Amino acid sequence: MKREQFGRGSILNYIIALAAIFALNFILPRLMPGDPLHAIYGDEALVAMTPEMERSLIREFALDRSWIDQLQAYLMGLSHFDLGYSYYYKDQVSSVIMGALPWTLLLTGLALVIATALGIILGIESGYRRGELLDRCIVASLMFLSGFPDFFIGILLLLLFGVALGIAPLSGAITPYAGLEGFGYLEDVIGHLALPLSSLVLVQLGGIYLLTRNTIVSLMGESFILTAKAKGCSEFSIKYSHAGRNSLLPVTTATGLRIPHLLTGALFIEIIFSYPGVGSVLNTALNARDYPLIQGILLLITVAVLTANLIVDLLYSRLDPRVRYAH
Amino acid sequence: MLQIKDLKVAFGEAEVLRGIDLDLDAGDSLSVVGESGAGKTTLGLCIMGLATGRVSGEVRFKGKDLLKISEEDFRRMRGREIAMVFQNVEDALDPVQRIQDQIAEAIHIHNNATATDVELRAKKLLLSVGLNGDKARAYPHQLSGGERQRVLISMALANDPDVLILDEPTASLDALTKADILKLFRSAIAGRISLVITHDLSLAAGLTEQMAVLYAGRIVEVGRTDELLSDPRHPYTRGLIRSYPGMTMTKDLQGIPGRMDHCLEGCPFHKRCTQRIEICRIKVPQLRKIDGRLIACHRGGIVPLLEIRHLHKSFDSCFALCDINLTLYEGETLALVGESGSGKSTLSRVIMGLYDQDRGDIILEGQEVGKRDAAFFSRVQMIFQNPKESVSHRMNVLDAVLEPLNVQKKGDREERLIRAKEVLDCVELPFSDDFLDRYPHQLSGGEVQRVAIARALALGPKLLIADEPTSALDPSVQAKILKLLMDLQEEMGLAMLFVTHDIALARKVSDRIAVMLKGQIVEMGATNEVLSHPEHSYTRRLVDCAKSYQRDSKEINQRPDRDSNPG
Repeated sequence: MKREQFGRGSILNYIIALAAIFALNFILPRLMPGDPLHAIYGDEALVAMTPEMERSLIREFALDRSWIDQLQAYLMGLSHFDLGYSYYYKDQVSSVIMGALPWTLLLTGLALVIATALGIILGIESGYRRGELLDRCIVASLMFLSGFPDFFIGILLLLLFGVALGIAPLSGAITPYAGLEGFGYLEDVIGHLALPLSSLVLVQLGGIYLLTRNTIVSLMGESFILTAKAKGCSEFSIKYSHAGRNSLLPVTTATGLRIPHLLTGALFIEIIFSYPGVGSVLNTALNARDYPLIQGILLLITVAVLTANLIVDLLYSRLDPRVRYAH
Repeated sequence: MLQIKDLKVAFGEAEVLRGIDLDLDAGDSLSVVGESGAGKTTLGLCIMGLATGRVSGEVRFKGKDLLKISEEDFRRMRGREIAMVFQNVEDALDPVQRIQDQIAEAIHIHNNATATDVELRAKKLLLSVGLNGDKARAYPHQLSGGERQRVLISMALANDPDVLILDEPTASLDALTKADILKLFRSAIAGRISLVITHDLSLAAGLTEQMAVLYAGRIVEVGRTDELLSDPRHPYTRGLIRSYPGMTMTKDLQGIPGRMDHCLEGCPFHKRCTQRIEICRIKVPQLRKIDGRLIACHRGGIVPLLEIRHLHKSFDSCFALCDINLTLYEGETLALVGESGSGKSTLSRVIMGLYDQDRGDIILEGQEVGKRDAAFFSRVQMIFQNPKESVSHRMNVLDAVLEPLNVQKKGDREERLIRAKEVLDCVELPFSDDFLDRYPHQLSGGEVQRVAIARALALGPKLLIADEPTSALDPSVQAKILKLLMDLQEEMGLAMLFVTHDIALARKVSDRIAVMLKGQIVEMGATNEVLSHPEHSYTRRLVDCAKSYQRDSKEINQRPDRDSNPG
């Protein structure tokens, strides 16, 4: 009975949160200075524009209707998964986003996996060797790296590998009009992905690494590690199957919390590398004051973050029997 | 089979173990006791090769020096030949793995067996420690403390090791669980070399044959567990036992003054020891065999302060004392009990030299006592039954306390005054000018007795003869005076000959008791032993009389309730 109350309460919380998010999604873009017409067609175009044209555009963009009406339309659209119509791309918002989403998923997904895996492994190895030279070197270099903002690392890598050394493409996700297929296509995609991915990983790595290392350092003092040693466990097994497995618990939570950060990071990185993902689209949409598109992308990000949190919760109960059996 | 030679462990500057020597054969069980921080756990970890500090010395096991073999070789031995159960049952098991898997891991590491075989053995092991199949798939947090301890034991026994080290194995268990687990431990250590690290003396007594007392990284006493507990010879061992609340202990708990200091020159215990001499500060005492046990003490253990041999005393033709033999050790209270006229007070007066003995010897600190000179009275002092009579009514507080110092001409006037204030502070009296000017009739009975004690302490005696010191005081004051005396004993190592006819009182303040009847000691021994199993019929009668108050009160309780009577 108590559990039921809890469930009902949390569902109510989610509804309130969702409503707040919809409202914010709707209001925030409209609070930006400027309007779509100026943004899309520019000042000069507006001078040439006849009042009739302007009126028809305004009607087309539904800017003549009140906020309440717009909100109503927005919510009605949402209720049957219609995100609206992009002013700028002249296309359904959902198809614009779907066109860009695979690239972003590829970039952020890989960055998340690589940064987490690498961070955990480095953290375990470094925490196990606490105070040794290797540990101190890794701590120092990763602290140094995670001090930079994402875009700065991106620009640095771009200048170094793309401009100075010329071994990486400067922009895009594929070489346009190359007509590559099969392995060549894959190679091309990876080549384009390398720099943006590296910059995202480098930025994300520090946090995961430091947390894992700290967790390992404190776990190494726990009695169960001593028990494992007394059993005669090998060093590898102590590091990974005992300390490592236990360190996953806080690291998973933290990774869940880092996902929004990862998404904003991807936004900047995509812009720097002109990577055709959702970040670039959002950039364009912002510049064009393309309200429906902005709303759509913000909604997508919100849903992604919520989903990520849900996955973390589920994962956590898989990882920790104490949570699994708590209810 | 397991030999430890001059084992030292240091963390930076701090030496945790400062030269441990132990020799254990198959089947030996040794408990290592001592306060927290004595280095007990570090000793266990050293044998496991898991100590983190700088380790030197030798740990020989089956002919190999464990400190010299490679980490990989040592790892293969851990759990297979030497196993350890750690303290802290709460988190000694990996929280995210099923207990069966954890035990299986212990088997799997040292055996080439198939997964199903290992699982079967793990289940069998769990059964053997009393955990049935449905617990096997549980996680540690689903088990109680006792069950977790069982899992830890089964894990340690998984590969049938030759050496089993148990570190505070019952620290977090309740009494009933502890009793169950104790049985399991007993069967677990049978036939192996076992090392039980604990500060729980009853656990040590229940599990092990031998006991080693560790203090600040050195062993100070080793012997048979039962002997060590019933007759501690090192002052530290006695201090540990006195601070342990055992069910058979009758004397009030006393602690050990001061705190452990690791970086001392000389004897590690000398700062807290009440019988230290010059050499204790300079030289480290080595473990020596004394009376069938090993003691590291320059003074050969707790020294006998007063020895009385074949003492006779008669007044005219009437025997007052007949062949009295007793030994009073440093820092110990011997209660002298018996009815009026049994010779208790005569004995104390003979010791003080108020009467001469007819025959027999009185030996104080190894020296035959002849004439009672100033040196004697600065070692032995007496307090009496009625303080208002024993403190002259013509002297104010200050004069009374200064008197012994003046008589013995100790220091100049300034120093005497300082000393007088010191001892008044010792007995928890104020030393304001107003108080110092008071005369006995202006003070309460308890205060005058405190003044009398302060006067007795002024010369820094080692032996205090207390002749019915509290019988003239009301119970609450009596309790405070007795507490004071016990505290003084704890701090200064004061030995006390406590003359009383009150058995219940003797029970609470004394370590040993001597029962006197018609000038003879008819029974003598540890107070709890003598009072719980009196052998002499006279002792039995005394004990029975002392108990009668309780029996009466029980009878009163057993009377039918007035309310339940109809009408």
